[in-house]
Amino acid sequence: MNLTTFDKNMSAIAFAEAGEGDTARQILSESAKKQAGKSPVPAGRPKPYSKTIIFGMLSISAYVLLFTNEKLVTEIFTMGGWRWVYPVGAAFFFSFIHGAFASNLLSTLGLEAKK
Amino acid sequence: MKKLLFILMFALLPLAMVAQSALAAGDGPSKDMLKGIITEVNAAERTLVFQKDDTKEFMTLTLGEKMQPEDMKMNQKVLINLDKHAAADKVMKDVSIMFIDMSVSKLLALLVIGAVGGLLSGFIGSGGAFVMTPAMMSLGVPGAVAVASNMCHKFPKAMVGAYKRWKYGQADIKLGLVMASTAVIGVQIGIKIQKHILNQFGGAGSNLYISAVFMVVLVFVGGYVFYDAWKLAKGGGKETVSKLAIAMQKINLPPMMHFKTAKVTISAWITIPVGLLTGMLAATIAVGGFVGVPGMIYVIGASAMVASATELIIAFVMGAWGSVQWGLSGLIDIRLALLLLATSLIGVQLGALGTTYVKDYIIKVVMATTMLIVAVSRGVKIPGYLIDLDLMSPIDAGTLALLEGISFWSLVTALGSAALIIIVAMVKGMTADRHSKRALAGVNHG
Repeated sequence: MNLTTFDKNMSAIAFAEAGEGDTARQILSESAKKQAGKSPVPAGRPKPYSKTIIFGMLSISAYVLLFTNEKLVTEIFTMGGWRWVYPVGAAFFFSFIHGAFASNLLSTLGLEAKK
Repeated sequence: MKKLLFILMFALLPLAMVAQSALAAGDGPSKDMLKGIITEVNAAERTLVFQKDDTKEFMTLTLGEKMQPEDMKMNQKVLINLDKHAAADKVMKDVSIMFIDMSVSKLLALLVIGAVGGLLSGFIGSGGAFVMTPAMMSLGVPGAVAVASNMCHKFPKAMVGAYKRWKYGQADIKLGLVMASTAVIGVQIGIKIQKHILNQFGGAGSNLYISAVFMVVLVFVGGYVFYDAWKLAKGGGKETVSKLAIAMQKINLPPMMHFKTAKVTISAWITIPVGLLTGMLAATIAVGGFVGVPGMIYVIGASAMVASATELIIAFVMGAWGSVQWGLSGLIDIRLALLLLATSLIGVQLGALGTTYVKDYIIKVVMATTMLIVAVSRGVKIPGYLIDLDLMSPIDAGTLALLEGISFWSLVTALGSAALIIIVAMVKGMTADRHSKRALAGVNHG
């Protein structure tokens, strides 16, 4: 037998009046849960605030670290030969952490691709 | 057979890279350029002692005629160009400080160019390079360092953009890799032609050649893309495969290749010239995408959406390969590359997600607009080069300065207008999407 919301509410009232407050609350919470699941407006994905902050901090520290040591970095990175690994590696590294930050930042700002 | 060819193409790519590294030639700097530190200046004799960066050997160089001993900066990394045409050996032509001092205005300029270049890249698959290198040079960066640093910022940007657009189901990895492997060979051919012209006709001849190629490609290809986009806009934006592409797809010359995302089956022999031309153009005008994307649309038959996304894969492979070359010569100023990346990684992802809200033809509109305005910027430079080659009678300095001004500002206009079209189209698309979602929610509620 399918119980309508009205039936449920009525039985919850009946239990409550009979002094069975806990049972009444249980019945009501069940119907509330079902209601939430049925919601026609899909709840938006939670915004990745913490990820944005973590990757943002990582990225900023990497930039600060690089620019406070710019003389040393530019010197080593431009020695040529196998040291091509440094600039290319650094570009990869920054693209991962800063790219992740940028991606999360756009999501946080509500800019997502059309589904 | 199909698999064999695919494997062969993959094998070609690293092979070309290895051969390139071993020869240390390619699109690296010229052999007349020295990198190192000035340790001593002798004003009376007009000579200086120079320590080469790679071998640490000391050498004595003579100052060129127009150079002043007091202008020589000591104990700082510099790039020195030798005068090939001087009577004596080891005569300097010019000297430039390798690392510019980073002021706040320069930093901001790099961030702004990065953002706009990134946005364009994410949206149409290429863009920005034609303005980034000249912009860096106008900030005082030596030409070779500007090219190298731009290259090093291009490949991570293209990688992030390609990943995003692959996630949206737009990038065809197989098509991208096939095109990239032939484009790498195209770059070699392009460089050979460039070097030949430089040796035969000198710097002005080379500049004239570059500008002429720029003009022809941009006006013809850009004009056609614009005409096509205009037709689509009038006809409601329904994109159809070009007649040329349909004819090409009918050529049954094995090995035939199937590209799933692009929804195209075509003979591998058709993709080769398109890839080669993309590479050749990349080596000549630094923007291979201006041939690669229209080539994939009109010759291979991919949609503008897939072609522009796939171009990012090509840009990544070619950019990474180029960066290794420039890294081997030690000319990448990582600060410039990373400052450009700081904003271009945001721009490229914004541009990529923007494509999901717009109709296919908007990509063509943006691409054509950029190409046609850039054509103006190169076209106005041609009289100057013709005068240098004595092919045209000199015009007054004021007119030349005006042409220079037009050239610079048309580049700025190209970037600005492209960014504007992208943002307006994206905002419109997002608003329409929100309205339709709200309407849908309303129906469900009711």
